[in-house]
Amino acid sequence: MANNHLTSESKQLATWYLTFAAILFGAQLLFGLVAAIQYIVPGFLYGILDFSIARILHINALVVWMVFAMFGSVYWLLPDETGIETIGIKAGKLVYWIFVAAIVVVVLVYLFIQIGPASDATIWFITEGREYIEAPRWADLGIVVVALTFVANLFLTGIKGKQTGIVTVLMADMIAFAGLYLAGMFFTDNISVDQYWWWWVIHLWVEATWEVFVGAIAAYGLITMIGAHRKVVEMWLWIEVAMLFGSGILGLGHHYFWIGTPEYWWEIGALFSALEPLPLVAMFVHVLYDWGKTQGAQDANGDKNSVITNKPAFTWFVLNAFGNFLGAGIWGFFHTLPQVNLYTHGTQFTSAHGHLAFFGAYATILVGVMYLAVQGKNGIKVMKNTKTSIWAVSMISGGVMGMTVSLTIAGYVQVLVSRAQMGATWAGYFDGQNGLWFTQAMDWRLILGIVTFIGFLLLAKDLLTTGKDPVHER
Amino acid sequence: MLNPAIIRPEIALNDFLPIFVSSSLVLVFGGIYVGIYTAVKVKYLKPWVMVIAYAFWTLTSYCLYVMGSLMHVGSFTAKALVVAAIGLFLLPFAVYYMEDNVHKSNEHKT
Amino acid sequence: MANKSVWSDNRFWQRSATWITGFASILLIWLTFDTSAQISMGTDEDIQNGVKKKVPGATVINYRITYEMDAKRGHEVPVIGGKEKFFGRDDWSEEEAAAMLHLGKLGSQAKNCMDCHTLLGNGAYYAPDLTKAWLDPAWGPDGSMQAMTGKSTKEEAIAEFLQHPDQYPTHARMMPNLNITEKEAIGLVAFLKHMSSIDTNGFPRNFGKIKGAINGK
Repeated sequence: MANNHLTSESKQLATWYLTFAAILFGAQLLFGLVAAIQYIVPGFLYGILDFSIARILHINALVVWMVFAMFGSVYWLLPDETGIETIGIKAGKLVYWIFVAAIVVVVLVYLFIQIGPASDATIWFITEGREYIEAPRWADLGIVVVALTFVANLFLTGIKGKQTGIVTVLMADMIAFAGLYLAGMFFTDNISVDQYWWWWVIHLWVEATWEVFVGAIAAYGLITMIGAHRKVVEMWLWIEVAMLFGSGILGLGHHYFWIGTPEYWWEIGALFSALEPLPLVAMFVHVLYDWGKTQGAQDANGDKNSVITNKPAFTWFVLNAFGNFLGAGIWGFFHTLPQVNLYTHGTQFTSAHGHLAFFGAYATILVGVMYLAVQGKNGIKVMKNTKTSIWAVSMISGGVMGMTVSLTIAGYVQVLVSRAQMGATWAGYFDGQNGLWFTQAMDWRLILGIVTFIGFLLLAKDLLTTGKDPVHER
Repeated sequence: MLNPAIIRPEIALNDFLPIFVSSSLVLVFGGIYVGIYTAVKVKYLKPWVMVIAYAFWTLTSYCLYVMGSLMHVGSFTAKALVVAAIGLFLLPFAVYYMEDNVHKSNEHKT
Repeated sequence: MANKSVWSDNRFWQRSATWITGFASILLIWLTFDTSAQISMGTDEDIQNGVKKKVPGATVINYRITYEMDAKRGHEVPVIGGKEKFFGRDDWSEEEAAAMLHLGKLGSQAKNCMDCHTLLGNGAYYAPDLTKAWLDPAWGPDGSMQAMTGKSTKEEAIAEFLQHPDQYPTHARMMPNLNITEKEAIGLVAFLKHMSSIDTNGFPRNFGKIKGAINGK
């Protein structure tokens, strides 16, 4: 990149984070494909890269690329929001390389060592074997150091510079995000206690602190991309925080129906789960409102141009508002009440919800930030969609939606056959898995997974090349 | 603590599909209601379309009712569902009212 | 502006968000104390005195476990019955049982069980749920899995399978060999038996109650 338009070190660092995030995004999809093939051809890479390993890499790459992109997003918006250069940028850069190196080591260990004997050494150096946070304990400690450095940079900058509402929300949110990780770092023989705290990390991340993070990034996006009024957006952000934390924190209850915890979690989980979609609906309304108002104001001035200064990023942001509602809202709600969750818990329904919610709520907005970074880095005033951007966004979202529908059908077969009719035994499980509808659904899942992956390749190409495209206004 | 003596009848095999469909439609219709409401308010759509918005909210409530009764929810959850339906009804009013207020107070300032 | 309403006041919402978050967090912490007390592991004494714990002590491996409908609660609950031999003994001491369970739990994580199977319904969906696997009729005296391993007891059959899963083709989707030693296998069986005694509020429903397939869809 010969002519770099970035004068801020913080934004420079942000592009590093976002680049590595995009690479991990690709790795996530690749290992997802391996796992999807194994559903259809169980012998594929058997004994070399078993399903468990492919899946660990699939979901760990997911979590880590999102964390990277989240750090990147914050480093990107900090100079704009606070009006000063980020403090401790040297430490930030050092920690970036430590983080990258640690991830490479962890991935190599996952790939080539995979498992260990039942001993503490395995937990410390190979795998902790707990879904999503399998990273061995040494890496856990490393992540804590990395997260603390990041939070320190954010706080020092936020306190010294202009402390906008967005920065305040991010400061509070990121410290909770880092602190919650500690709940997932200990070992216990009691699996109920184990899963109780494990959900503190997983749920309070993805259904509380990450959602609030998305709210803050969306607020920043609305201000920078369509020139929405800061005061409106920030007031809205506070309402969003109230609604998300108000429903999300105790929504944790819907994970405590069946893990050995008391029955009162049925009522708590049901009540707060029923409320959880409301902020997602509201978020959607808000984007629509702001867009309508700002465009309306501009039209009234006789200016027929669009108010959007970054078309591809805005497309991903709108997709986020919609996808959050669809994936986290609809796909979450229809199996969340305990009466029906008794049958759907631990089936492909969860997997369907996971795919669409992670994509709709997080992947979309983080890709949007990547486009913002491309715009900033190349000094583009108004960024337009290219053919590749449109193909990329269509194929990725179509592919993920298709995978979700396939997995939902597979889950439905499991609920009816394995659960309701066969009582969840070993034999019942495989009766469900062998059903025609189930196997067909898995075929479609793979096909649509490939579509998603091709979409990703187009996205990567677009992110790398669109900056130099002459169609944009500079 | 709450009395745990809840007898929960099993869900009939043929009820699973209607349950999943109705609970998805709750939010689909709910989303359409909120969407139309906002679109009318920001003058994307004509005022009479508001009737359609309310019709969708009615459908939402009906779906919640169908879902709840097929699942045989207890009295507590039933109340929670009613609260959710009312909450969804009020949501766009509240959001619009607040946003508009802020907008107005700011337009006068600048 | 004269008519500045509280509803459009930024500070009002900032405070509301803080109060709501704080209140929800405090409620969650309070519930966590209550739940933690209820899901702490019981002791050998509890089992002998018939004290029902959500998560019984490790010595539950000395007893027969069944999964029965509780009319009052409206769903099935694990019931701890009379003594039952586990690897030839029904007098494992509290220390011995705890050590086996510890090894088993450690093993379940070291072998990434949760990335194919579900435990208490959480994990991956590539292989059967293990919550009540100990009670699965397939491992029982007339079960196909026990017959396949040629062992005469449930625990020995499961331990044998865990050590050589690739030698017992149960399904096209076979469990890979995870270098599980005999000692680890015994620990894992203890872990599975213990898990089946956890009161999961009736999950999974009707486990092992339905023998033949009804073949609906």
